[in-house]
Amino acid sequence: MTLKNRVRKTILAAGVLAVTALPAVAGEFDGVTVNIMTQTGAIQEPLQRRAPDFEKLTGAKLNIIAVPFSDLYQKVLTDWASGTNSVDAAVFAPQWMVDYVAGGYLEDLGPRIAKDTAIQWNDIAPFFRDFSSSFGGKTYLVPLDGDFHMLYYRTDIFDKAGLKPPTTWDEYLTDAKALNGKEFDGQKVYGSCIAKKRNAQSYWFVTDIAGSMIQSKGTSQGTFFDTKDMKPLVDNEGFRKALEFLKESGKYGPPDELNMDVSDTRPLFVSGKCALNLDWGDVGVLAIDPKTSRVIDKTGSVLTPGAKSVVNWATGKLEACTAANCPYAIDGVNHAPYAAFGGWSGGINTKAKDKVKDAAYAFFSYLSQPAQSGVDVTIGATGFNPYRVSQMTYNDVWKNSGMSKVAGDSYLGAIGASLNSPNMILDLRIPQNQKYQQVVLDEAIARFLAGEIDEEATIKTVQDGWADLNEQIGTADQLKFYTGTLGVKR
Amino acid sequence: MSRREATTQPAPENPNRMSVAAVARTETTTPESRDEWLDRNSGCIMVLPAVVILLAFAIFPLIVSTYLALSRFALVGGSFKLTFVGLYNFRRLLFGVQQYHLLGTFKPFDWPEWLAFGVFAALMLAWLVRYAARAFTVLGFVGRLISAGLATGLVLAWLGTLATGAYEGTLLTTCVYVVVGVLVQFLIGLGLALLCAQPIRARNWFRVVFFVPLMVTPVGVAYMFRMMADMQKGPFAPVSTALGLGAWAWATQAWSARLMVLIGDTWQWTPFMFIVLLAAVENQPRDQLEAARMDGADAFQIFRDITWPAIAPVAATVVLIRLIEAFKIIDMPNVLTAGGPGLATESLTLHAFIAWRTQDLGGSAAVGYLLLFVSTITCVSFFNYVVRWTRRHQ
Amino acid sequence: MTDDRPPMRRLFEPRTLDSIALVPKIATYTLLLLWTLIVLFPLYWVFVTSFKIEVQVDSGPYYLPFVDFWPTLDAWDFMLLQNNTLGPYLNSIVVALASTCLALLIGSLAAYALVRIRFQVKVAAVLTFVVLVIAIIVAVVALDVPWIVALGVAVALFLLALATFVRRFKAAVGNNDIEFWMISNRIMPPIVAVLPIYVMFQHLHLLDTQVALISTYTGVNLPIVVWLTRDFFAGIPLDLEESAEIDGASKFRVFFTIALPLVRSGLAATFMLVLILTWNEFLLALFLSNANAQTMPVLVAAQNTTRGPQWWYMSVLIVIMIAPVVVIAGFLQKHIARGLLAGAVKG
Repeated sequence: MTLKNRVRKTILAAGVLAVTALPAVAGEFDGVTVNIMTQTGAIQEPLQRRAPDFEKLTGAKLNIIAVPFSDLYQKVLTDWASGTNSVDAAVFAPQWMVDYVAGGYLEDLGPRIAKDTAIQWNDIAPFFRDFSSSFGGKTYLVPLDGDFHMLYYRTDIFDKAGLKPPTTWDEYLTDAKALNGKEFDGQKVYGSCIAKKRNAQSYWFVTDIAGSMIQSKGTSQGTFFDTKDMKPLVDNEGFRKALEFLKESGKYGPPDELNMDVSDTRPLFVSGKCALNLDWGDVGVLAIDPKTSRVIDKTGSVLTPGAKSVVNWATGKLEACTAANCPYAIDGVNHAPYAAFGGWSGGINTKAKDKVKDAAYAFFSYLSQPAQSGVDVTIGATGFNPYRVSQMTYNDVWKNSGMSKVAGDSYLGAIGASLNSPNMILDLRIPQNQKYQQVVLDEAIARFLAGEIDEEATIKTVQDGWADLNEQIGTADQLKFYTGTLGVKR
Repeated sequence: MSRREATTQPAPENPNRMSVAAVARTETTTPESRDEWLDRNSGCIMVLPAVVILLAFAIFPLIVSTYLALSRFALVGGSFKLTFVGLYNFRRLLFGVQQYHLLGTFKPFDWPEWLAFGVFAALMLAWLVRYAARAFTVLGFVGRLISAGLATGLVLAWLGTLATGAYEGTLLTTCVYVVVGVLVQFLIGLGLALLCAQPIRARNWFRVVFFVPLMVTPVGVAYMFRMMADMQKGPFAPVSTALGLGAWAWATQAWSARLMVLIGDTWQWTPFMFIVLLAAVENQPRDQLEAARMDGADAFQIFRDITWPAIAPVAATVVLIRLIEAFKIIDMPNVLTAGGPGLATESLTLHAFIAWRTQDLGGSAAVGYLLLFVSTITCVSFFNYVVRWTRRHQ
Repeated sequence: MTDDRPPMRRLFEPRTLDSIALVPKIATYTLLLLWTLIVLFPLYWVFVTSFKIEVQVDSGPYYLPFVDFWPTLDAWDFMLLQNNTLGPYLNSIVVALASTCLALLIGSLAAYALVRIRFQVKVAAVLTFVVLVIAIIVAVVALDVPWIVALGVAVALFLLALATFVRRFKAAVGNNDIEFWMISNRIMPPIVAVLPIYVMFQHLHLLDTQVALISTYTGVNLPIVVWLTRDFFAGIPLDLEESAEIDGASKFRVFFTIALPLVRSGLAATFMLVLILTWNEFLLALFLSNANAQTMPVLVAAQNTTRGPQWWYMSVLIVIMIAPVVVIAGFLQKHIARGLLAGAVKG
């Protein structure tokens, strides 16, 4: 049980700090029960593990209710919108905040945060303080996780093959093709592993590729809609190329990739069966878990690849990168790291009793405080990835977690590079964004990859679907929300 | 439940007639003991709880769903709003932008499709004419018209998705699960029942073992088969490799994914067929069997002339029960492939479930309603044309 | 008795009805054993998986404990001691038993009454009723009338209608129609009913309680109970009940003391079937329960996480879910077959 010991050790080390830093008084919440809903597995793990300690500290009883990811949005919404209010607080995607705030279900946490010194609010990276927690100038969520898509590659395999990690999507395909089916240390590897399952968490990946060709002039340019008129940015060569990339990468991946969610590709990469992999920060820490990982110190992390030509929005055609159209290009390659999802964050139901709200906030604060979160982000099982400035550099906690200096620098370097990229892609945060992505985009991509519809039909489906939603919800309003989000301070 | 006449069977001329109104009257005039009152109204009282519960959990939801299916759901500040949109949700599914999802993507007919359709339509017509000529009742004719209409519609949709580049929608996928699944389960169940009814040892043991799959929760069965069907680390991975299939990617092809769903479903539900059919086989008239043996009839003749007629009514009923349940399939496709690849394994219930999950409550209710129509018409048709027929010919 | 038939016939044809010839015997056993394998292998796989740890599953397949992998009790330890499995397990037991018993009681009462007592329900009354229900829903949903007011007014109107114009109409439906109506409710897919039921319980403040699940399952399974039990009651001879009635026993006494004991076997079968259906139900439980009333199937599904399905945990749950039902079914097995047969013959 090395993992447990490791965790225990780090927790002990941080324990003294934790107790002193906690604003709560022992027994403060005696007799208070808080129902907190989140997804099963990762995210559920740290909440469940930390709950007993918190109960001991404050007397509050915490009920962690876990539901599958695909049901979470709707379960929370149904509970709050119907007035059932059996859920006092929830940990969910900040993207969904828009809908919950519009319904008036979320408590404004601003005053509480202002009074709370233990949470060390300014240690949280500015992007997460903004995108993951506030909306319309008010702070509704406590960030507990930082989420970026990154590229993972096997350092040992790339060394042996004499390759460098890909910086463009074309190179990605070339490398994947070259490595696919080759044997390393007695194990055959797949060139590329990307989650492509329908009704899962795979609809984000198309934006990784398309975005790097559509968005080149900085974060505020946006990649989903034209900021002038809310026209979907789909009918262009960049999106077409992204579709082709997804289809072609499937040739160098596991045969049943179409039925794989990130929950399937992660164990696959960690068990040493993939040369290249796109995923959130989770893989980096899963890779250092000695219980399951066969790729300890063989995992490298870099920025998601980019493109050497970008889309001219006016014509929809790809044009080679110049200083004018790719101001942020690195070595002539336009990268657009995607802050997909934004990072799990905790919000509180405004209809909960005051004491319950206080207890829920105290718990979120406790989880987010550096003493706890610094440890949690180093454990793969938590699903929490670095989001505080203090977690972005290699330190003793990382060392104790079993991550080597090389792996740590690579992992944290990739996160830092993504976070600091001036051309980072913000995830869609307009009302009912779930319908745009999880319904229209997801279904169209799934049907395209299954061969049910061709490229043109896919593009038309997404474009019409998004335009249709715009019209239903109100194009002018959506545009206001969209441009508002893009204007976030960074 | 109102005025009703309670009489004891079988005597229809029971003096004990009464009605609700009568009760009210007697109560005011002659005082009667509570027990007497209870006894006289026992019929009502016995049925009432069942009726109330069914009203609450079947009829009430049905009516509310009708309303939902005819409206659009939207969240509005702190609450939600239902806007009446008429048949919009149905139009969208049957003829509009969601047609591909429910019915499929069609390609124009070529002559073989027209021919097949013509033959089928002619058959249906002939069936209707025959009925009209023989024993015509308005209700019977309308019922047959509806059945024939649905069958023709389904065949039309099916033919339209046969060409390359055309794809089946959730309606046809569900029909595949129902028709193929129930048929295969019935055949295996019958075969096992016939085998098990022979004078062999360990009969009871087989019987208990064969019954077990029914007891596993469908979600559990679904995950179990996902484990089984994992060609990377599942138990059949070496087999698949040995057969030269490599890691067989069943989940990437529409029909192999559907096949996997059917295999799981069959594993779970064959026991149900088996257990009932076995009881029926064991119950067949022994003297006839003996007589047939004496006459030197072979096994097939015995089955055809004695066993089958004896078990046909049971067989029909057990198929009906299964039909009713088969239309509701959701766990297996949801867990195995989440409806993929593309839309290939999505059943109607899963379709409605996914729509619900994305707040499209109107669309979800509309899909549910269409499922209700199709399964009701199918099940009632099956009951009237098959189950009744086998009972008449017993 | 010596067998003096030619050897070929001896191989293929049995001597008597209660024996079996050699070739069919071998074929029979082969096929039955084959199916046994098909049935048991997935269960075996689940069973051994519950003793594996993550790495043994991910780098698998491993088939035999102690031979190609070393079994551990890690998953069992986590699921039974650390995780809150007991709560959902108790919920499942309470919900399944209570709703099965309730459905059996209410359903068999109704079935008995439908077999023994003739009913005539005026079509006009049914129509009035339907119109009123629709009116209630429209009033509550569209016009924001409090539901309790709407219900009160509707009941009053209904009684008024019964006492006045309904009596003038002749058309009525009989026992067969009522039965058919009750049974046909089973056709309704749960997905159609679940949202209204959710809203109903939310109004009653009963969401996420065992009561909600128990009553929903009772409603959902009632049609099956009526369908199966009516035939058992129809099958018992009338004279027993009649003589009891002459002795002055009430209909209820007759039902509980004479009719019910006579159909024990059928009740056992119905009990088993309904118990399995409720014990294993997932979709309704997913909607109607959150923290407090969560049942086992939901917990099983919840083991599918972002780190992949936790096969080892899931397997433990499946094993402990099957175990009690197998035991009960083992005892009731004979009754089940006989009971289902009786039910299925007449339907």
